[in-house]
Amino acid sequence: MKKAIITFIVSALVLASLALWALKGHFSGNIGEIVMAGTALVLVGFAVYVGVSRLRSHQRREPGEDELSRKVTIKASSLSYYVSIYLWLFVMYISDKTPLAAHTLIGAGILGMAVVFLLSWLGVKALGLKHE
Amino acid sequence: MNNRIKELRARHDLSQLELARLAGVRRETIVFLEKGKYNPSLRLAHDIAKHFGLPIEEVFLFDDK
Repeated sequence: MKKAIITFIVSALVLASLALWALKGHFSGNIGEIVMAGTALVLVGFAVYVGVSRLRSHQRREPGEDELSRKVTIKASSLSYYVSIYLWLFVMYISDKTPLAAHTLIGAGILGMAVVFLLSWLGVKALGLKHE
Repeated sequence: MNNRIKELRARHDLSQLELARLAGVRRETIVFLEKGKYNPSLRLAHDIAKHFGLPIEEVFLFDDK
């Protein structure tokens, strides 16, 4: 229950930051910014989904976490950590070949890590944990 | 490793949610077990077998290969 509430608070903060960024006039509407804002919204959607599923579990008097959900998180985290190393290697490689500013590249890298975690989590859920 | 959870659950007239509550896990875990997408810990296997009143090896079928 507590974790679900924390998830909703963090999601609300991310949405508020995005809204503030757009309202302050930093949003110029180019394709890169649209992709970044869209990705952030997808990630917020994922967080809300996790929070809602935890609340539903609470209503059904199930534990919010159990051995399977913990193992899925651990497996997805280790997989995404491994992939993220290559993601940052790629970011370093393109850093002097692109006109993008360093802070934009770092932002894209952090967002990329979150996307890699989301994909790893979905992959582990789809394939299961038969050999763990 | 295969298991007879679905069959035993039907025999004991238990829903996935009821079995999940008895074993102290989420319903999703029972779904994964029945689909053969997850091998449980020894503790969970023991708890599930206990609720069916059977030894572990009669609920979870180990492949000798």
